[in-house]
Amino acid sequence: MSSPGGNATQQDGGPSTGTRSGDGTEPSQGDGVGLAEGIDHQVAMVMDLNKCIGCQTCTIACKTLWTDSGGRDYMYWNNVETQPGEGYPRNWAEGGGGFTSAEQAADQSHGNYRAGQLPSEEDYGRAWEFNHAELMYDGSDAPLRPQGERPEWGPNWDEDQGAGEYPNSYYFYLPRICNHCTHPSCAEACPRKAIYKRAEDGIVLVDQERCRGYRYCVEGCPYDKVYYNVLRKRSEKCIFCYPRIEGAGPSEGTTGLVEGDAIPPACATECPPQLRMVGYLDDEDGPIYKLVEEYGVALQLHPEFQTMPNVYYVPPFAPPQLSESGETVDVDRIPRSFLVELFGEGVHEALDTIEREREAVQRGKESELMDLLTTKNPARQYRLEVFNQ
Amino acid sequence: MTDAGRLAASGRVLLAAALIAVAAFVPTLVGARAANEIPTLSASQEQARALSQPTAAAWNDAPPVSVPLSSAPSTVPNANDTSIDVVNVQAARSDTELFVRLSWADGTRDPNAAALPNGTPQVDTFGDAAAVQLPTNASAQPGIAMGSPASTVNVWWWNRLVGSQEVLAGGPGTVTRFPNDTVSSNATYRDGRWFVVFERNLSIRGENRTALDANHDLNVAFAVWNGSNMERSGRKSVSEWHYFPFGPGPQGPPYETALWIIAGVAIVVVVSVTVEAVRRGG
Repeated sequence: MSSPGGNATQQDGGPSTGTRSGDGTEPSQGDGVGLAEGIDHQVAMVMDLNKCIGCQTCTIACKTLWTDSGGRDYMYWNNVETQPGEGYPRNWAEGGGGFTSAEQAADQSHGNYRAGQLPSEEDYGRAWEFNHAELMYDGSDAPLRPQGERPEWGPNWDEDQGAGEYPNSYYFYLPRICNHCTHPSCAEACPRKAIYKRAEDGIVLVDQERCRGYRYCVEGCPYDKVYYNVLRKRSEKCIFCYPRIEGAGPSEGTTGLVEGDAIPPACATECPPQLRMVGYLDDEDGPIYKLVEEYGVALQLHPEFQTMPNVYYVPPFAPPQLSESGETVDVDRIPRSFLVELFGEGVHEALDTIEREREAVQRGKESELMDLLTTKNPARQYRLEVFNQ
Repeated sequence: MTDAGRLAASGRVLLAAALIAVAAFVPTLVGARAANEIPTLSASQEQARALSQPTAAAWNDAPPVSVPLSSAPSTVPNANDTSIDVVNVQAARSDTELFVRLSWADGTRDPNAAALPNGTPQVDTFGDAAAVQLPTNASAQPGIAMGSPASTVNVWWWNRLVGSQEVLAGGPGTVTRFPNDTVSSNATYRDGRWFVVFERNLSIRGENRTALDANHDLNVAFAVWNGSNMERSGRKSVSEWHYFPFGPGPQGPPYETALWIIAGVAIVVVVSVTVEAVRRGG
């Protein structure tokens, strides 16, 4: 990723030279990072949940680019759901898939995974058709509402509902894309081996030539992030905007970019609060390595599924609870147990580290971590050309 | 009657008994062979014109074989949970075409109308399906589970949602479509049964395509999927290898000649020993 400051640019789509990092350091590869076998580098994303405002701009950016028609109407490769909540598709976390143990996940023989369930159309929620034409062109006074059968569920049906009682109710937003797992159980589930991890960056893709629409991948993904296209009769999923990563995206008009530059996924670049960081897990000078490996503040969602996701989350903080008289009390508003349920035991250390570093900054000290978590420099947020030759 | 006359009479009786025994023995041998045979009607041009229709009366002339099915060995989840136990198979051959009709009871026509709102299937809908498997090399008998890389199979596949496809396979998970389909299919659902007719021209030849005009028996196997039971891929009911009797006249398994020689020698020995014994005893 070129820095908007202009310290490194790539001309005419040719190979980039020299360092691509914003801070001028040479890239070095993290040897200690566990990459999938046969993968040169692993592209990864960190989402800071403290910044998510639930605006769904990422959802719409993704939908507009990839899933706006042709049997993809119901698909949200990127969705933002309210937690606590049932999510999209409904109760996805209880649908099985993944692996029963780390040993099973590491097993090199194909087809060893935990079977799961196939969500129904109702679980996803059908794509509603609205009476726009009637209102806009026919002068109707009818209210704008979904046409056809009265919907009883849909994505974000329980938006902002959360849990807890006033004045201590709570919720936060959880944006989800395909995790491009180090051990993708969707790939294990496919009897035709139609799903693979790209060698150059570990992006998980469905080979549309090999796919025959059996949907074992949909069942086998514990995050329910593979979708079946009923019109094309193939399974489809988030592609981490790989054409953009390869420099094929629309650089025109994007600050600091020239043609051929790697562009982060649309869900990341279009995010108003810029909560996502994109780079390589094995780039020791990059934001992902620092947040995941060095500081341990970015965590995998449901690590117990054992697929080793490469999308990581900085867990959310919330104001403490209030007493009946409105006094602040020293009780977590978002129960720690709920965060552990989502992100595993690493939550404790992650939140403690952030707390400690935040206090350090409050005392006027330097904190690389807080600096990174609050950076507004795209070159620090996005590092995608660091391994280019 | 003289001694010699009595002896000759006894000999004739014994010979007759031996012949009766042989006559009784031969059908059991032939019967053992016929168990996996799919008899093929030699269809007239008039019949052939009707046979593309799955429920045409012309199919009444083709002898039906009730082929037992069982769950295919497969690594996919719930592979043993299949629901179709038997498929009725009929075959007919005209001068130019081979017709194969599969018919089986399936209480659910999948996907049904409820699963097809506005004619569009849902994300968890699977179509009923059926397949005919043939060895690519018409004289081979590949592994029953879709062959192997060394010995591939042709599969004629019909799916209620997809239509028919002609594919090549060299083991599970290797199904690959031919660039062009030379097999056509027609399907009808009537009174709780599917009737599916596959049809291919006999003279079509091509790389990796089963030749249907070879002058010898042709192995064939069958598979059926019940969509509402979420059967797809390796979760299916399959048969053992059967064969179309395309060879020149009756032809048994390779060991049949050896059996006949042994039986013949045994009969001759038994008859001669008996005749000799009766003659000496007389």
